[in-house]
Amino acid sequence: MILTFDHVTKFYGPVIGVNNISCRIGPGITGLFGANGAGKSTLMKLASGQLRPSQGDVRIGDTRAWSFSAKRLFGYSPDLNSFYEEMTGREFVYVMARMYGMTKGEARDRTEAVLVEVGMSDRAGRRIAGCSHGMRQRIKLAQALIHDPPVLLLDEPLSGIDPGGRREISNLLLEQGEKGKTILVSSHILVETESLADSVLIIARGRIVASGTLREIRAMLEDRPLTVEIVSEDARRLASLLVNEPDVRGIELRSDSLVVKTRNPQRFFGLINDMIAENGVSVRKLQSLDAGADAVFNYLQQGAR
Amino acid sequence: MRLLRAWSTLLWLSFRRLLWSGSTLMVMLPLAACLLFIVTWRKHLPGDSFAAFNIFSQFLMLVFASFVVPICAVAYATSGIGGDREDRTLLFLLIRPVPRPLILLAKYVATLPLAVGIVMTAFYVYCLSVNHEIGWDAYKLYMPAIFYMTIAYIGLFHFFAVTFRHSTIIALIYSLFMELLLGNMPGIVKRVAINYYGRSLMYAAGSPLGLERPSPEWFEPISAAAATLTLIGIAAGGLLIALVVFQRREYTDLT
Repeated sequence: MILTFDHVTKFYGPVIGVNNISCRIGPGITGLFGANGAGKSTLMKLASGQLRPSQGDVRIGDTRAWSFSAKRLFGYSPDLNSFYEEMTGREFVYVMARMYGMTKGEARDRTEAVLVEVGMSDRAGRRIAGCSHGMRQRIKLAQALIHDPPVLLLDEPLSGIDPGGRREISNLLLEQGEKGKTILVSSHILVETESLADSVLIIARGRIVASGTLREIRAMLEDRPLTVEIVSEDARRLASLLVNEPDVRGIELRSDSLVVKTRNPQRFFGLINDMIAENGVSVRKLQSLDAGADAVFNYLQQGAR
Repeated sequence: MRLLRAWSTLLWLSFRRLLWSGSTLMVMLPLAACLLFIVTWRKHLPGDSFAAFNIFSQFLMLVFASFVVPICAVAYATSGIGGDREDRTLLFLLIRPVPRPLILLAKYVATLPLAVGIVMTAFYVYCLSVNHEIGWDAYKLYMPAIFYMTIAYIGLFHFFAVTFRHSTIIALIYSLFMELLLGNMPGIVKRVAINYYGRSLMYAAGSPLGLERPSPEWFEPISAAAATLTLIGIAAGGLLIALVVFQRREYTDLT
């Protein structure tokens, strides 16, 4: 099932939440990344029918996200820590199941099944008020999965979960993705879900600034300047050799390293190799400070300013 | 059928949460205080039935109808949807396949038996506790007025609950300012208060037993039919407007 944003703009009074966003999100896992306040939550709220777009249209399949009939088509795990605290985890998920019109028997069976899926079956008898943040995340995920929806909207589903738990939840989401579900996972930490997502949407200041696979986005950035840290005992000498090179835009000398900004990463790495070989400069470590997924995001966010 | 099951689940959940909420505790305090007052004060009632009926009626109008009834209505009517909103659990209801008007209707239907039940039971207990033949007369005569006032407050406070973020506080301010203060002002200004219409009904009901009306400058009641229609209108209108507001409104403060 396709989740479609068609020229969607959302205003909060005079403040713009998202600005003329158009995209189609299909089966598989799509990561939605952006800094706090970038517009991720607004996009999630529009997709889950909590907000109506000021302009444009949000559809799940052919159904408008705002309409109540769309609510059967998605499961939503909000970035929210409020529950019916007096209930147990099991009771909460069961009540949510009943709100999809399931019979008592159906609701009981589905509740047990999803609690097993999210790894909470043995702890679901505990009152939610006494549950840890990680357990609450799993309960939220369970209520989103309860009616086996074709679309999953997960707002920061991995935050507050320990590394082992993250692996489990990631595997669960990968399974759901393999089943052909459309999964939109929002996060403000790219590395958290980059291994999970088939494709990503990067949002900054209410606009989608990049979309595609991470590889595609990185390829897009090939001609962009890159920052490289070189750890060397001959940092000063190396700096003097690099300073007149045309591809070097700037050098910052530190105690035992230097940070170089280059406008052509490929040519620069070739140049460094030649210098090491010809001048006998010792280099202990050479690392790109921008190569991580977070840097891609930072680049793009800066581009949106 | 699925929708009915979903709705009845929501109704049961709402009822259960309201029953075991702080609201029940909150209404018990003024109700118990009233009862204590009646029990200690009843021995001072005059032996003359007319005089005793008049005094008891004034107590019911000024304390029970003007203060206790709105407090009970505030406690339950704003806690239904307003409590979910303040706790941010409303989100878990809004993302379910239940039309929004039905969500509010479930909250309303869950509130009715609690608020009406507690008010009517308290009223019955007070009439019984006065330990006088006038108690039973007062119960029979004033029961419809108390009932209509209660449902009018519930309708109005549901409108508050879907409209204002801190609806309980606003409803309390309304109850204390509009109902107690303006409702007891001389002249026409008291017509903005629900208790004016309830008291009009009570004056009309009590007059065969000799309930004395205050001077027209102080309180000019409207006819019982007009008062009844107004109270039903406020109850239905409040709910109807609340349904429309809830259907259209975006609750941006839930996450």
